[in-house]
Amino acid sequence: MSISRIFTVFRKDIAVGPRSPIILFALVMPLLLTLVLHLVFGGLLTSRPRLAIVDEGASEVTVLAQQLPGIETTILHSTVDLKDRVEANEFDGGLVLPADFDRAVRDGEKPLLRLFIGGESYAVSRLVLAVTAIDLIREVEGKSPPVNVELVDLGRADPIPLSTRFVPVIAMYAFMIAGLFVPASSIVEERERRTVVAVLTSPATIGEFLIAKATLGFVLTVSMTAITLALNDALGPAYGAMFGVIVITAVFWTMLGLVIGLASKNSEVLFAIVKASGALFMAPVIFYIFPDWPDWIARIFPTYWAIDPLWRVMADGARFVDVAGQLAIVVAMSLALVPAIAALSRKMQKQLAAG
Amino acid sequence: MNGAISVDSISYAYGEIKAVNGISFEVARGEILGFLGPNGAGKSTTIKMLVGQLVPQAGSIRILGMPVHGHSSEVNARIGVSFEEKNLYLQMTAEENLKFFASLFGIKRLDVRALLERVDLAGRGKDRVASYSKGMRQRLMIARALINDPDVLFLDEPTDGLDPVSSRAIRAIIEERAHAGTAVLLTTHDMNEADRLSDRVAFINEGVFHAIDTPENLKLKHGTRSATVRIRVDGEIVEKRVPLDQESVGDGLKGAVNDGEVVTIHTEEATLEDIFVSMTGRGLV
Repeated sequence: MSISRIFTVFRKDIAVGPRSPIILFALVMPLLLTLVLHLVFGGLLTSRPRLAIVDEGASEVTVLAQQLPGIETTILHSTVDLKDRVEANEFDGGLVLPADFDRAVRDGEKPLLRLFIGGESYAVSRLVLAVTAIDLIREVEGKSPPVNVELVDLGRADPIPLSTRFVPVIAMYAFMIAGLFVPASSIVEERERRTVVAVLTSPATIGEFLIAKATLGFVLTVSMTAITLALNDALGPAYGAMFGVIVITAVFWTMLGLVIGLASKNSEVLFAIVKASGALFMAPVIFYIFPDWPDWIARIFPTYWAIDPLWRVMADGARFVDVAGQLAIVVAMSLALVPAIAALSRKMQKQLAAG
Repeated sequence: MNGAISVDSISYAYGEIKAVNGISFEVARGEILGFLGPNGAGKSTTIKMLVGQLVPQAGSIRILGMPVHGHSSEVNARIGVSFEEKNLYLQMTAEENLKFFASLFGIKRLDVRALLERVDLAGRGKDRVASYSKGMRQRLMIARALINDPDVLFLDEPTDGLDPVSSRAIRAIIEERAHAGTAVLLTTHDMNEADRLSDRVAFINEGVFHAIDTPENLKLKHGTRSATVRIRVDGEIVEKRVPLDQESVGDGLKGAVNDGEVVTIHTEEATLEDIFVSMTGRGLV
């Protein structure tokens, strides 16, 4: 086994990758889905409204705004800078507090308060910032609200928003495309063009060739899943646990990719297998979108065990030890694929020789 | 057996069909052995066993003294193979293809330009192989086979699809390699090529050898020679054919020459294809 030859094949695949529509698809698809998700549910990278304040005096409004957990407040020093940056969508809104603002409010002078709103900010952010500004001023004024508002939760007590519940769908796409489809299609392409025959008549062995393909899938899966989760603010509180889950799950998917790649004689067969099995692979993620559906059905699908640890770390804040049992099942499933890979690689070599 | 290639009674069957049936031969260092036979004769199956793609169901193969199976990496490091199928990475350039394979062979420094110059592709090294013609791809295949300066070279139809000039250049490279001590095994349909290049040729049909010898000996042993004398008689050109493989050659020639004014005399000998047909009862295509 030569690490150098494995790296040579891997490096070639990475170099050729940008010329391959499949790898481009693997890179773009999760990002595209993330974008769609954020267009539908709003927010990219941050879900909190971003407020900039220029305080020409020493207003209490500034102090109170900085204490609000639901708003990201930044202090700026010039009105021109504030307007430019709100216009550039760096902030959803900007407040300019004149000197002596607090005194004027308390004296009932009704001073002018200008709230600049970014043209590209979400409507929900504008609403939050406007209401918050009025609320803060009322507090400075020392008056209590004219009404008491009672907040009543409708629907599930489950606080997980729908946008978060869609994240397993995107993560599953990253796993399926980068982990399964990329190595599988790479093997099939080399087989159809018979370049694998040329590789195997060099000192490279079939084992080195397959490890290189698996490495390609593994690296793409880990990076694409991590990027996708980060963009969706879904890495969870325990980064180490999430990284461990992604790594173990990526190994499972790439091994599944090797099995499917070796079992497919050509692209038509590969697409047929992926189409037929895609629904089965994706089935468990539907249960995160519809949490009222019975959990036990999801557990029937093997891929449930590969996605649920990620969900638990992301949504429940589980630690690595909390999901270790599920990950052990993923490791066992990966190990069970090894004899299949060995048998299928022997079969592929025979078919190549016969062809 | 101590040849660069030593093959002892190898056999291989695809189900009921015996593709190769107990053939044995050796190829010495610096020797070129031409494998001649029609499609389905067993040439490709033999090469596949020699390069380790297929495991013989009987018999043994040694390349450079090493058994092929069980030592594939060591053996492959010292052989060069040009397949009939043009299995190059089409989305990569010629230079990238050669560098990739050089890296698999553990070659740190490769003069890619010199290698491409040898196959007349120096000006196209940075072009993707997908834009290459069939002949250019064939030349790149030869360059790839030479990447590791091999001790044994397997060439499957090396001049297939090439124009006469390119074919001549490839033949020159093969001869140069043989002179440098490389054992060459080539398969071809081109009788002239086999005749010109090969030190020995092997006739294979239905998985068995019908003959293996030098082209000269095969022609002497199995072919017929004749002289064609064209004479002018009363202003008309008359052609007379005199067999040379008989005792009274002199009388026959004298008779032909004395019958009129000699215009031309040509000697003819059997081609390898004639001999192949006479030995196997079938043609080469």
